[in-house]
Amino acid sequence: MMTGVIETSGLGKRYRRAWALRDCTLAIPEGHVVGLVGPNGAGKTTLLHLATGLLAPTSGTISVLGSPPVDSAGQLARVGFVAQNTPVYARMPVADHLRLGAWLNPGWDEKLAQRRIGELGLDPRQRAGTLSGGQRAQLALTLALAKRPELLLLDEPVAALDPLARREFLRGLMEAVAAHGTSVVMSSHLVADLERVCDYLVVLVASRVRVAGEVSTLLATHCRLSGPRRDPATLPAELDVIEESHTDKQSVLLVRTGEPVHDPAWTVLPVSLEDLVLAYMNPANEMPARKPQLGLV
Amino acid sequence: MIRLSWLQFRAQAVTAGAALAAFAILLAVTGPHLASRYAASTITGCHGGTCSFAANTFLSRLQATSPYPIVYLLGSALILAAPAITGIFWGAPLIARELETGTYQLAWTQSITRARWLVVKLALAGLAAMVLTEALSLIYAWWADPIVKATDLGGSTSLFSGGRFSSVTFATHGIVPLGYAAFAFALGTAAGALIRRTVPAMALTLAIFIAAQIAMPIGVRPHLIPPDRTIATIESAELNFGSLTATVVPDRPGAWIVSSGAISAAGQPVTNLPAACQPTFSGTKPSSPGPCMESRGIREAITYEPATRYWPLQWIETGIFLALALVLVWFCFWRLGRRRT
Amino acid sequence: MIEFQLDETSGVATYVQLVQQVHQALRMGMLEPGDQLPTAQQVVAKLAINPNTVHKAYRELERERLVRARPGLGTFVTRSPSGTDPATQARFLTAMTDWLRSARSAGLDPDDIEAIYRTAFRTCFAEGAA
Repeated sequence: MMTGVIETSGLGKRYRRAWALRDCTLAIPEGHVVGLVGPNGAGKTTLLHLATGLLAPTSGTISVLGSPPVDSAGQLARVGFVAQNTPVYARMPVADHLRLGAWLNPGWDEKLAQRRIGELGLDPRQRAGTLSGGQRAQLALTLALAKRPELLLLDEPVAALDPLARREFLRGLMEAVAAHGTSVVMSSHLVADLERVCDYLVVLVASRVRVAGEVSTLLATHCRLSGPRRDPATLPAELDVIEESHTDKQSVLLVRTGEPVHDPAWTVLPVSLEDLVLAYMNPANEMPARKPQLGLV
Repeated sequence: MIRLSWLQFRAQAVTAGAALAAFAILLAVTGPHLASRYAASTITGCHGGTCSFAANTFLSRLQATSPYPIVYLLGSALILAAPAITGIFWGAPLIARELETGTYQLAWTQSITRARWLVVKLALAGLAAMVLTEALSLIYAWWADPIVKATDLGGSTSLFSGGRFSSVTFATHGIVPLGYAAFAFALGTAAGALIRRTVPAMALTLAIFIAAQIAMPIGVRPHLIPPDRTIATIESAELNFGSLTATVVPDRPGAWIVSSGAISAAGQPVTNLPAACQPTFSGTKPSSPGPCMESRGIREAITYEPATRYWPLQWIETGIFLALALVLVWFCFWRLGRRRT
Repeated sequence: MIEFQLDETSGVATYVQLVQQVHQALRMGMLEPGDQLPTAQQVVAKLAINPNTVHKAYRELERERLVRARPGLGTFVTRSPSGTDPATQARFLTAMTDWLRSARSAGLDPDDIEAIYRTAFRTCFAEGAA
């Protein structure tokens, strides 16, 4: 049984009155690119900060690469982090940022860093504050990759980027995964690019995990049912209705099920990953009694 | 981390170095002249009562000669301000700016612990602040030595007064500047760790530092070592003209008068000059109220610290500020360790 | 070497598209036995997709016995899928065209024909895939 890259049990974080994250139980396997999806304020940044050790939990436990994320040099070296809005030292040139990485990380790969900076066409003497958003994101990614971490955490790295910069960033990230086998957990509030890049998904809404699992499993266990107007309460119990919409004549349901649907009244249609995620993210589809965790593959 | 800390601190160090160099040059150019003026004055070879007159002459002439008054004021102001400036511009942003700009997410996810990051940054900038302030003070003490000596002898003008124990002189000489610098820097860092915003942290640091610098000479310094008391004759106490406060402690040259006042023969405080003893202005000199008051049994009660307590007071005060600095530094580590971001 | 494309709007899973493109290339003769498929890194550099997707597609092709992974060397084409010689293709093309003509003259419109075709297609390929 391989240890997951991130394993949490009942993890929660509270600020004063409000819970930023609650009852979070995950077992994210290694060797995947994990999409952490949810609307703004859902708790994605909180979860990532808990994983990097920048925050301490209020309740529950979290272990990253088999250890709790303590403030130790060894643990910090294994995890790379690219923060939201990719903060850099505005007045410090690109080359000095690389020096920062080299001096503070024993596992620093200078060749990789220099090669990436060269490929990206960044001027080493340019101050980081004058870089474009896409260039800053690439610099932050370079710093995180050159440290050769086992796990890379990214907090909405492409949210503020134009489509070209976004594609270039993901390209660089995927190339690094292909080359080094790094596990990646990437948060986003955008659902495009998900199927292209992620093979494991965690949907976080209003501080709770709605669903988590391999993308192939999620697609295999969710489908759309279209048929004559019907009350979902009359459906068999193993059909978990995620989303429903009705006209006077027709009902369309998005369901989660382990078994194939044999009822001839329903037409079974596939559902795209994007539609699946949007259904889970929609606050109108509140599912208080539902167990959020899918069977893990 | 040391190399990185230096890389990020370089610009501030250069500014400080330039300021120190400019100040040193200014003092080096004017200092020797001041010393020779002192050597050539009537103070050398004076004795007893003539010394305070000689000192007064020297200082009045000096006050009228530029650039000495300006350099004197500039030096005092600079050394009084230096701890506050380093506290505000080096201390307050240290943690606060990282939190404000989000760069803490970069700095604290490399392969070094937060504690190590903080220790190196604090040590580098904190020691630099202490060295800078103390260097300014030492150069200034060398330059202003003739003036301090003259005021210690009882010389007093509107600008130069009070001797070694006066609030401004005590704070700009000796080793207390080192303590102030450490305290102000630690205060800035702690304010930044608490408030997490640079500008409000700067404001809080300035406010608390000024409050401490006012409270110390007025309320604390006189009690660091319990002062001595003595009762002297009005004449020997050489009262200030027009008041009942003493300027000299008999047989205790250079002492620091914490407080003084006239007391009656029965030991009760006398707040007003008896009407009969008011000075009259017949002839060329006003009559002294001294013999008049003494004939009524009025004497002067003086609370003072003898001159020998100068260095013990300096050390104790420095120790207090260093201790406060350590407490504030501990607070910074505690705050960072709690991981509340 | 084959160059993969990705159609994001098609609704078809990425790895399936890669598999289909290899099938297509084999049918068209653009890929021949012994040819090397692009490495995962090459595909990722071009398409910015998850490298696991490439591995999944190549595993599927390996299961279909169309390619073989040689550790340290790459993934290579073994042989073409059966029944792709041009003669067979031409035979079925003719049969299909005749069928369509007779369906048209029987009065079926293009939508009916398409519905019949899709139902038969689904039935046939659900009955145990090759």
